[in-house]
This record gives sequence, C-alpha cells and structure tokens, in this order.
Amino acid sequence: MQDQLSALLAKASAELPLLVARPDFEAAKARYVGPNGELTALMKQMGAVPKEARPAMGKLINEAKTQLQSQLDAVHTRLEINELAAQVGPAVDATLPSPDVGPGTYHPLTLVREEMCRILRKVGFTVADGPEVETEYYCFDALNTPADHPARDAQDTFYLPENVRFANVAKKTPGEKYLLRTHTSSVQIRTMLKGEPPIRIVSPGRVYRRDTTDATHSANFHQLECLYVDKNVTVRDLKALLDYIFESLLGKDTKTRFRPHYFGYTEPSFEVDLSAKHLPKVKKEWIEIGGCGMVDPTVFSGVGYDPEVWTGYAFGMGLERLAMLLYGIDDIRYFYQNDLRFLKQFA
Amino acid sequence: MKISLNWLRDYVALDASADEICRAITFLGFEVENVIRTGAPQLNHVLVGEVLTRNKHPNADKLSVCTVSLGEALGVKTIVCGAQNYTVGDRVPVALPGAVLPGDFVIKQSKIRGEPSDGMMCSAKELGISEDAAGLMILVDRPALGTPINAVLPPGDTVFDIEITPNRPDCLSHLGIARELAAWFKKDLVYPQGKFRGVLPAGVASRQDLLSAVRVEAPEDCPIYYAHIVTGIKIGPSPAWLQQRLAAVGLRSINNVVDIGNFVMMESGQPLHAFDARKLAGAQIVVRRAADGEKLTTLDGKERTLNSSMLVIADGAKPVVIAGIMGGENSGVTAETTDLVLECAIFKRQSIRATSKRLGLSSDSAYRYERGVDAHAAQTAAWRAIDLILEHAGGQVAGPMHQAGADIPWQREIILAPAFVRERLGFDIADAEMKNALEALKLKVTELGETTHDALSAPGKKRNEWRVTVPSWRDDLDRPIDLVEEILRVYGTERIPPTRVTVPGLVGDDDPVVLFNRRVTDYLVGHDFHECVNYTLRPGAEVKTWAAETAVAELALANPFVEDQSHLRPTLISGLLATLKLNQSRGVPISRLCETGRVFIEKNGQNLECAAVGFIVAEDTERRWRQREAFDFYAAKHHIVSLAGLAALDLERQPLVATTGPHYGWQEGQSALAGDLQHGWTARFGLLSLAMAKAYGIEGKVYAGFFAILPEKLAAASAARKRYADFSLQPAALRDLALVVPSATVASEVQKALAKAARAAVGNAFSFESVTVFDVYQGKGLPEGTKSLAFSLVFRASDRTLTDDEVNAAFNKIQTDVVQSTGFSIRK
Repeated sequence: MQDQLSALLAKASAELPLLVARPDFEAAKARYVGPNGELTALMKQMGAVPKEARPAMGKLINEAKTQLQSQLDAVHTRLEINELAAQVGPAVDATLPSPDVGPGTYHPLTLVREEMCRILRKVGFTVADGPEVETEYYCFDALNTPADHPARDAQDTFYLPENVRFANVAKKTPGEKYLLRTHTSSVQIRTMLKGEPPIRIVSPGRVYRRDTTDATHSANFHQLECLYVDKNVTVRDLKALLDYIFESLLGKDTKTRFRPHYFGYTEPSFEVDLSAKHLPKVKKEWIEIGGCGMVDPTVFSGVGYDPEVWTGYAFGMGLERLAMLLYGIDDIRYFYQNDLRFLKQFA
Repeated sequence: MKISLNWLRDYVALDASADEICRAITFLGFEVENVIRTGAPQLNHVLVGEVLTRNKHPNADKLSVCTVSLGEALGVKTIVCGAQNYTVGDRVPVALPGAVLPGDFVIKQSKIRGEPSDGMMCSAKELGISEDAAGLMILVDRPALGTPINAVLPPGDTVFDIEITPNRPDCLSHLGIARELAAWFKKDLVYPQGKFRGVLPAGVASRQDLLSAVRVEAPEDCPIYYAHIVTGIKIGPSPAWLQQRLAAVGLRSINNVVDIGNFVMMESGQPLHAFDARKLAGAQIVVRRAADGEKLTTLDGKERTLNSSMLVIADGAKPVVIAGIMGGENSGVTAETTDLVLECAIFKRQSIRATSKRLGLSSDSAYRYERGVDAHAAQTAAWRAIDLILEHAGGQVAGPMHQAGADIPWQREIILAPAFVRERLGFDIADAEMKNALEALKLKVTELGETTHDALSAPGKKRNEWRVTVPSWRDDLDRPIDLVEEILRVYGTERIPPTRVTVPGLVGDDDPVVLFNRRVTDYLVGHDFHECVNYTLRPGAEVKTWAAETAVAELALANPFVEDQSHLRPTLISGLLATLKLNQSRGVPISRLCETGRVFIEKNGQNLECAAVGFIVAEDTERRWRQREAFDFYAAKHHIVSLAGLAALDLERQPLVATTGPHYGWQEGQSALAGDLQHGWTARFGLLSLAMAKAYGIEGKVYAGFFAILPEKLAAASAARKRYADFSLQPAALRDLALVVPSATVASEVQKALAKAARAAVGNAFSFESVTVFDVYQGKGLPEGTKSLAFSLVFRASDRTLTDDEVNAAFNKIQTDVVQSTGFSIRK
C-alpha cells in the first residue's frame, strides 16, 4: 500500500504541472480524489489493513492526501490566474481620450446664482421663489410705485391681454392686469404676505423689461434680491451685509460704497458700488453693482406689518451684470446663445 | 441734465476742484454721467511767444526751424514746427519742456530730424480749446511775451451731466444743485438779487387791449396761471454772458427774450413762456382742454393733432401752446415782437406727462412739469425773468399781473427725535451734527425738548424731539425716515462705520422649486448635459409647434416688443433646439443640452405657470476612435423617469401613452406622454418629429424629454418620510415565461396580467416578488402580427427555502390563469 501511495504521488507530480485546460484539470482531480478516484480507492482499502498497522498507514494516507491536495490547489490557482489574464485583453493606452460625450457643464448664470445663494445661506438667508407672471399689485402697487410711474407703461413692461387667466397666479384685486414681473421684488411682497417677521430671504429669478436687445440689454434677465425684516435693523447692518457678500465673493480687500439714491420701496435708498480692482476688463476704480435701502414704512403698512415695530432692508442686483463683471464677459447675449465654446469656459 | 460749474458759482462760492465737486454731487445722490470741460484747461509752462525767424528744416520738406522770443526773462528758443499758417512776427502759444498738454502729452527737449527743438508751438486743438487743428493758434490780440497762456485764453467751464432722481425735481435747476452743494461744502447760498416785485411804476398805463383776461377752464390741470404784460421791448441777440450760459448747458441762443425764458428755467426750474401779445386774438388767454382733432403747429415745425385729454393755452380763437410742453408757431416771439405776454404757470404733472407721451413730444419744460415744479416759487421766477427782460430787451411792465388760481400757502412740519435717527442708522451722530445737516439743506429745526410727540417713542416715554420745518421745494420730505436720509446724505454715506453681519438664526428651507431646479440640474449635468439658458419669450410661429392652436392665443403678450419674442414659452424644448441649431450652424459639435425654468401651459382655457426641466440629445456628430451605442427612446425614458423621481413622482407607476397623430413637435410612434396638469404635472419624452426638426434646419435625429410640474405640487411632494419594510433573507426562486401576444399589445398590459395571476397563484403561502421583461422578439417562428415577451418572475418565502414543487405548482397555475384571462399563448 505504501508503494501504491508513492507511485500515485509520483504520477500526480508528473502529470498535474502539465495541465493547462480547466476540463483536463477537473478530470484529473476526479481521477485522484473523486468518489471513484485512485486515492479514494486506496483509502477504502484501510478496512483490510491489520489493526496494529492502521495508525501508521492512516498517517501515510493523510500525508499523501495533503500533498496531493496542495498540488491540485497549486494547479487550480495557476489556471485561475491564466484564465483571468486571458479575460483582461491587451493593455490600454491611457492617453487615448474617452469616447464618451461629456462632461456636462453648469451655465455661468447658475454658477453665479448658486455661489451668491451659498454666501447668503451662511448668514441665514433662505432662497425664495415666485411666479414670473405677476399682477400689478405685487409688481408695483405693493412696492409703493405711483399709478403714473413710467415703469408701469406698456412701453416698458410686458402685459398679458385682459381676457387671459393664470389659474395659479392669484390676483389681489379682480381688475388687475397680468404682466411679466419687472423685478423679483414681487417675491418679497408674496413672502411677507404669506409669513410673519422676522424674514430673511434671497430671491433670485428671471425678470422682464421691454427693451431693445443689445450688448447690455436683454428682454429677459435675472435679478437677485435680499430682504431682511426684523426689529431694529439699521443702515449699518445693511452696509455690513454688502461688505460681507462682496468680501466673500471677491476677497477681503474688496470694498463697497453707498451712494444715496431713490427707489420707491426703500428709504433711505442707495446705489452700491464695488471696488473694481479685482475685476477683469474694468478700468474704473468703482463700479455700480446694485441698489439697496431700508424698506419703506409704506411697504410694511401695505403688507400688514406695523412700521413702528418692524424695520428691514432690501438689496437687489442683476445676475448677468455680476457674471459679466466676475468673468469679464462683455456681451449679455452670450448668456442666451449657449454656444458650447462659451458654456465650457465656466465649468 | 447739464449743470455748468461757472453758472453754479453765481450762487455759491465753490472753490473746490471739479473732481471734488463731481464727488460731492455723487455722494449727495445724483449720478454724474459725464463731465465735459470746455475752454482751456490749466496749462503750465505754456506761454505767449513770437516767431522771430522761420527757416526750412534741412532734412524735412514740411518742417521749419524757427526762433521764438518768450520775452526778456526766458529769451529766445529754437523750435522745430510743422505748421504752415503762420509768418514771422506772429504771436502764438509756446509749450516749453515740462508742459503737459491734454492727452498727457509731455513736452520735452528733443531733436527732430537732427535739429534740436526747445518746445512746441501749439494749435488750439493741442491746447484742448477747440477742434481746430488746421495750424498754430495765432494770438491776434498780441498779448505780452511770456504771459502764461491761461491769462490770455477765455476761462474754461466744467459741465456736469447729472441724472436727477425722480424724487428731486427741485434739483432740475442750477439753484437746486447749488443749494445741495452749499450744504455739502458748508457754504452760503446767494439768491439772485431781484428788483421787480410786482409793484408798477407810477404812470404806467395798463394795456388791457393786449390782454384783458385770463380764464382757466380746466383748473384741475392748471392750478395757477400768472401772466404779465411787458411792452416796448426790443428783440435782439442776447448778451455774451447769457449766450455762454445757455451754450454750456446745450441750449441754442434764439433771441434775448426766448433766451431769458430758458435761462430762468435752467436757473430756477420754473418753465416760462413768452407770447407775442399782438398775436393773441381777442386779447385773452384761455386755459382749456383741446377739442378733439384740433390742430396746432408747434415751434419745431410739426403739426400736432390734439384731443380732449390735452391741455392747451388758447387765445380767443385758437390754441397757441400745448400747455407746459411746447408753444405754437402762431404766437411765438419773433424779431418784430414789441409787446409780450409772459406766462408763468403750474400744470398738473399727470396731465403734462400723459400729453407728452401721447404726442411723443418732449421738452425741457415738459420734463420739469412732469416731475413737479414748486408752485410757491413761480411768482419769483416770473419777476426774475421780468428783471432780465427789462435789463436786456428794454420795455416796461404794462399793468398788473393777470392771475388765475392762487398759491396755497405751504406749511410742512415733521417731528423728529434725534434718537430715532441713531436707531435707524445704527451708529452715533451727534445732535449738533444732525441739526447742522438739516439746516444746511434749509430745513428749519426747532428744539422742543423732552416731549412725546413722536409716534415712534415708547408710550409715555419722553425723549428729546425737534420740529423740522420743510421748505416748499422739498415736497418729497414728509416723514421722520425721510429726514434720516437727508441727515445721512449730508453726513456722508462713506462714513457709515463697518461692522460684521450679525445673524439671529432663522429656521427656513429653500423654496421647493429652487430645490427641484438644483436637483434636476445636478442630475443632468452629472449625466453629461450642458445647461443652457434660453429666452422665455418665443416667436408665435414656434409656439404653434408646441401647443394647440387655442393655447397659442392664450400665451400671446398684449404688447410684444419684437415679433420673434411675442409669446410665453409652453416648453423648454424649442429653446434647446434653437441652441442646437446655433451651435450646428457655427460648426460646433454639441449633443446633450438641458434647461430648467418656468413654462406656461394652457389647460381648459386657463394658463398655468409651471416649473419645468427639459433636455435634448442630438446625434453625436463628433468623430471618435471608438463608437458608442446611440441614444434612443429608452435612454430618454430613463432620464425622464429619474427626473420625475426627483419631484417625488414614480413614473413607472404612471400610465404612459404613446404619441399618436401629429402632436406638438413629437414623433408619432416614437414618443410618449405621461401625466396631466389636472393632477399637477406632465411629462413627454422620445423622438422629436423628424419633419419638424428638418423644417427647422436641424440635422439628424433629436431625442428629448420634458417634465413640467406646478410649483404648489412640488411643495406638497417634499414632505412624506419613507418607512422601512422588512425583507426576506431566504434564497429566491426564479422562473421564466414567454408569452406570444398581438404586436400592438403593450408590455405593461401583459406584465400587469402576469403579476395579477402570480399574486393569485402564490396566495399567502409565500411571496411573488417581481416580474420583469427580459426579452422582446418578433419575427421568424411566430405567427404574423404577434410578438413574444419574455418575463422573469421571482418568488421568495420569508421563512424557508422554497422547494421546486411548490414553486412549480404556482408557476403552472400562473400559466393556466394568464392564458385563460388574456388569450395570450405560452411560447414553448
């Protein structure tokens, strides 16, 4: 029996390393250790071995079995490696471009809007939204715009025909006309009417002016406005917000300055200039970036807030203008043409 | 509006530089749009010289080498000169080394074509005086040699072109701006000295024959009308100073009387009008509404047709002026005029504005009336004009003033607590400084001490208060907050102290529409789309492709500006196609585009404003070294399902309807529709109409997806929180089943039948987990008009491994039931 074991091992050592195909390996494995295998047959002879010789013989058989198994494992591992290697194929040229389209890009107006919203989110402003089709009340009356103000003219503002109805844009009074909002300030009114102070919102959105399209004018463009209503809000707080916004956007050295101005819905009102040294293609020392002021008591009264209790500020700016300044874009129409060579520059 | 610095100096002693004044105007709240300097700038090292000799330059045909005397102190210089218009003995401006001419042109000692030159003889253009570059500026008055050139040239002026905000009509005049600058620079304001004060000299006959009556028939549009008669005047040119004043602000000199009217308007802001008294029929002035169709030829030579909404000044027979806007040719002052009626009136702003707009006719006068003229200063302005007319055109005031309407005395007081100003500003300004600021603006401050007048004081709490009296020209000031602005303007907005933003936390989230736009854009950009922004307003013809005929009318603007921006967009796809076309036409390969934004969809005769997302995928025309599988309907479906999912809608559970018939830009049989705005949302996706795309000029197939949802629906969708459901850890049992069904039968119908049979078959014994299509076949081996759909069914128990027997029993029952209930056959 010992000789048979030795012979078996010798045969396996000679045969197994030569195997290259998995079916041959499986067949060989069955021949040695399968239910009808040669080693299995030898193990079955153990019953015939005298009792006193059994421990020694058992040990021999176990050793042979271990040896054979390790040889089989080695072959298995070798075959696995070869098989996986065959699956891999030839080496890639990592320098070839990906044949897939892409990557996608965000529009620069989205990038600028989201950056502004992130900056404002940090100081507690949440993003508000409202309809682009508005009524005269939300766009003008509630913002203290006199009935004969030029902004209301059909020359400057787009109106919808009187018989047209917008089921999900509520009118304040039945006689009002629908129009395309000329500023996002209408969102401030809707927010104040819907909620209670304190309020801290930023409303970015699309607005419309009846204007000739040229390098700096567009029939629709985008604004971003902030509104803060609380007790004891001051001019100094407003200035602090503007300083914070533009320092965040352009770095610590950026300065803002206020120039007194006039808007119907704020008092006092200011235009905001930005120190322009960071900005590409700007030759002036200061550049106008937006308008702001303390919410006029008339506006508060109109939305049912007691102007003797509540104070607040509002700030608004054009997003295209900001994007043009930040990126050095010199024609507003590029935003709306979406030439891929333009879109790809801001990703 | 143009404001001359020289003119301002008539009223306030401004010694600041033009730059400082410009800055002051800016921080007082008026935008300086332009600064125009006229006349000579300050020119150092430019002196009067005389040409002593002139010889041809040895190396250049067109140049001369001259010697030039600059007087005893500086002696004689050699100067190379290219001009031709001078002779020996002419006196000319000479710029010596060190001089800086306009345009930062620095004069240096130099050599020109080998000949040394000690400076430059100058033309008027080189000195910045005029555009005359024809040759040297010959000083015909022969001023003394060596005189600094500025002493010889007429003084220059600086003109500020200022934008006046609509709340400050009082600043549409030199006196108004002077008043502001006097406050800023803490200087006195000096009003012009008046002589005539309405008192007629003894013995002057009243000329009732020239003007017997003024009648205002529309007092609501004309609250005040003053008319003075001036006789015996002589029309002629204006004096030089007056011509200069008007030229500086861009007005042409006409004659002395007309110029004086314009001068007083530019000085005080009060428009005036002078009639030739002899041309007033019936010797009367009637202020009335025009008759419909009445005509008047205005001074600009155009015939205007009037209507009954428009106010005119008429004589006994005819309109002679469009009130407050422009005079008529029939009554104006001419060279022959000897007797005047001088009008000084107040008109209602709205009336002037409406008429001016209606006629498309604007004027300096209309501009001021539209914004508001100080009624309480009208009388003074008329007297000022009379003073100037008597001085420069002669004549005398013939009779008392005719008057209709009367000045209602002005009184306005505001109670202001200095503490309130500090509360609103958020920083300290001393009481004294506030008071100075208000007084500098000619507001009168009376200290009331500790009182409780101020409505903003806490009840019963006394605080220091002032009574502030507002002058008549400041109608814009009527609340304490208005005075806060005035104090801050004079104090200086640049002095607002910096501080940090303090943030009491406010609990709030971004609007659901904002969150939705952000999510879908992130998704699409993450899937290699380029985000676009297109106009909301589209051409009507384009909208017809994307909405029913009835809807097109609902989406039209009442007053479009240009034809190709006449309608609200009902979809985002048309804009994306425009982008695609633009890129294709520019030879820029582009395939995947997306956009978010508002769209407007008509439903049952009403429009709905929706939030929307859209994408298109055009054939990828870029050549690539390895070809990828082309985008198809199911790829579009994948994206639209994902996008709807971001709005918390499971599109897989919604009925999908294949597009049949011509349908708004989508290809029949290759696109589908889901949802209905009745339920708050709608989705479309698939292939765009090939015919539409071709007609539009797009090359290749374009797939697209569009999803629109009502903002209010998005708000409702965001709330529900998911609940965890238990799942089995036991192994699954799988069975495949192919059914032969009519070609037109949709997969979801077969799948639904199968699922129903499966649920019935397993009952409560174990669970039927899912059924999915894994093969679709049509063709050889199947009867004509049928197709095979193969499904994989998954079964599982919660507590054990399923045995083949129990699964097979269920599976057999499923097959029998499905065949029975649907009539489909099993494909063996």
